[in-house]
Amino acid sequence: MTAAPVAPAPDRTAGARPDGGPARPDGPGGPGRRRDPLRPPADPRQRVIRWLAGGSVLLALAASSAIGLDLPTLVAGGEDVANLLGRMVPPELSDPARIATLALDTVLMAFLGTVLATVLSVPLAFLAARTTTPHPAVAAVARGIITFCRAVPDLVFAVLFVRALGLGVLPGVLALALHSVGMLGKLFADAVEGAEPGPREAVRSVGVGRVRELLNGVVPQVVPAWVSAFVYRVDINLRTSVVLGFVGAGGIGFALQDALRGLVYTKAMGIVLVILVLVAGMELLSVAIRRTLLAPRNPRYGRDRAVRFLSAAAAAVLLVISFVRLGIDPVALVTSVPDLLAVAGRTFPPDLTTLGPALWEALLQTLAIGLSATGIGVVLSLPLGVLAARNVAPHPLVYGAARTVILVVRAIPELILAVVFVAAVGLGPVAGAVALGIGSIGFLGKLVADAVEEIPPGPAEAVRSVGGGWWKVVFSAVLPQGMPSIVGSGLYLLDVNIRTSTILGIVGAGGVGFLLFEAVRTLHFQVAGGIVLLVFVVVLLVERLSGWIRAQLS
Amino acid sequence: MQGGDEPLVRVRGLRKEFDGTTALAGVDLDVARGELVVLLGLSGSGKSTLLRCLNGLHRPSDGEVTVAGTRVDRASSRELRRLRTEVGFVFQQFNLVGRLTCLENVLIGGLGRVRGPRYGVSTYSRRMRAEAMAHIDRVGLADQAFQRADTLSGGQQQRVALARTLMQRPQLVLADEPVASLDPENAGTVMDLLVRVCAEEGLTVLCTLHQVDLALGWADRLVGLRQGEKVLDRPTAGLTKDEAMAIYRRVEPAAAVAA
Repeated sequence: MTAAPVAPAPDRTAGARPDGGPARPDGPGGPGRRRDPLRPPADPRQRVIRWLAGGSVLLALAASSAIGLDLPTLVAGGEDVANLLGRMVPPELSDPARIATLALDTVLMAFLGTVLATVLSVPLAFLAARTTTPHPAVAAVARGIITFCRAVPDLVFAVLFVRALGLGVLPGVLALALHSVGMLGKLFADAVEGAEPGPREAVRSVGVGRVRELLNGVVPQVVPAWVSAFVYRVDINLRTSVVLGFVGAGGIGFALQDALRGLVYTKAMGIVLVILVLVAGMELLSVAIRRTLLAPRNPRYGRDRAVRFLSAAAAAVLLVISFVRLGIDPVALVTSVPDLLAVAGRTFPPDLTTLGPALWEALLQTLAIGLSATGIGVVLSLPLGVLAARNVAPHPLVYGAARTVILVVRAIPELILAVVFVAAVGLGPVAGAVALGIGSIGFLGKLVADAVEEIPPGPAEAVRSVGGGWWKVVFSAVLPQGMPSIVGSGLYLLDVNIRTSTILGIVGAGGVGFLLFEAVRTLHFQVAGGIVLLVFVVVLLVERLSGWIRAQLS
Repeated sequence: MQGGDEPLVRVRGLRKEFDGTTALAGVDLDVARGELVVLLGLSGSGKSTLLRCLNGLHRPSDGEVTVAGTRVDRASSRELRRLRTEVGFVFQQFNLVGRLTCLENVLIGGLGRVRGPRYGVSTYSRRMRAEAMAHIDRVGLADQAFQRADTLSGGQQQRVALARTLMQRPQLVLADEPVASLDPENAGTVMDLLVRVCAEEGLTVLCTLHQVDLALGWADRLVGLRQGEKVLDRPTAGLTKDEAMAIYRRVEPAAAVAA
């Protein structure tokens, strides 16, 4: 067997190029200089992409060394984690009734928070959508509110609200609701903008006012998108609500924190397992709901209507149960607003000077954690994701194992991972970065696997037919094709990780969150306001930056 | 033609401009009660704009528009809404809400008559539901009443849209290329239905069309528009196809020669 003819060095970023474009006869070097005919013509966009790629690798490495994350630390940390896990078995459920109650509360909090977010998001979405806003200025304000809600992490809201309203589930629910507006408002508004204008014009032409024009001409078109976003958000909020207890905002996180503080690791493991079951169950449920409610287009009315009616009734009942079970007086939702505003008011004017250089150091540390976590996430997720793609996995068993790892990691909220790593390797940014990095597998691994499964099979077949083995198929056919969407997902991961790294400090895993938590605890609200402002700015900048990079790639 | 004393539609010197482009450059038009007038003209000649100025979906830039006694050009939004309840509009793209059932789409036609928001069939009164059902039956789709609108063929969807218009109990029906998105056979069926139902109800119809044959067969009067100006306004009786086709031909003599 002769060596397989190597395909012309596949450019890993080639797929990211818009279309390859017609090869230009001369590089930008000018017509006078002949270029090497075996080198691809210079392309300024290519150069930008290469610089970005190289720069981000360097940046991730620099960030890792800045927070003291290196290979020896990782190896030693691995031993510590193994030791800790050893002390966690056998898992133990000491007070099953109490845990079950807390678990139920946690689910109801996630649900109620999402419902409240929906109630807030619907009017905001209509105000924010270009096609329905009464005035562009109103749209800009509405978009601004939505962006603000997204840029302030839910736990930051929770910390502030617990201060305003005291310990309990109400501040937790409100924090979930407010942060969720950031996502739901945006998705709802996007759906409204995507609605067809025709039916709206038809409704307007029967002679009704603006409200009914939107209700009957737009809402029926966007309901599926809204429901899908709602279900997805409940899923996300459940992951957050299990850790709200860390800041005293109710739910099963209370019990977990108790167990960890008391160093009763077997009990902690029991609770973590309960959380795993909850989150995994919710994921299955949300897939099922989306399938029954949205997928089938049954031409006959009866079944569709029955399903819709039953789901609406179930949601209504669940809503009532939530209020009763959590002991939240619906009136309190309104009457608590002045208290919340009072706390918000006390954060003004934001104070950026009292903490001095410590603040900026913490902020840099936050960025470093986010960057190195993303680096770890990419390094781990790429191979795992490729193995978890049905069309590339060398064996069904490998595929199954890889998918399982991804699923399990996905089910563990990052903050819980962070708690575990803090317990194992001690307080500090290393625990946070490693926890976030490993948590990234659940997110990026899945996206990589899905992206790889979607690539057309032709090129892989071509590589195989010239005698290429598995490795050659992966490097010459799979990765080049999947790269654009993998890079896009990686950037999105960076976004998410930096946002999360701002709250890791709440469990002592480094970053600016610790200062924030301390500031609120010691009632230095203006300092807290300054930190929230910085977090907001950083998240916004990262979002814009990654949006810009993604635009360069597509 | 039994023209009343006062025309139902009276347009004088109607101008409409969009960001500097003139869509209508001073059009006069009268439509008597019970009359069926067809507007002919190339795409972009201003036909759709004219129709939309009649029920206030577009605001006229200048000129007088009186429909059923309402001065559309200076009506308040409340007056406009009241007027629109009496003016049915049939769209080229049907503009049904695809996810809703045919029945609910038809019920939307009755929204202007009831107060308060409605969402879902069961929020409408029994009487209205019965009336909507009768209209669906009239356009021959009773069996499909509870089917999602987007599962129907184009011709069926336009019939549902017609039922929606009837649900408005309009005096005037404005139809904007009602059959342009349909195949010739369905186009014939839908046009036939539209004309028959409107004649039975004694409705006034102003309809834009591309097909000169259909226009000559059904209209009482043809009105031709070219680049926002009226170039033809004659009863169909005695009008030949060539004369009608002239509206198109005169627009671009070069194209006509080439053809």
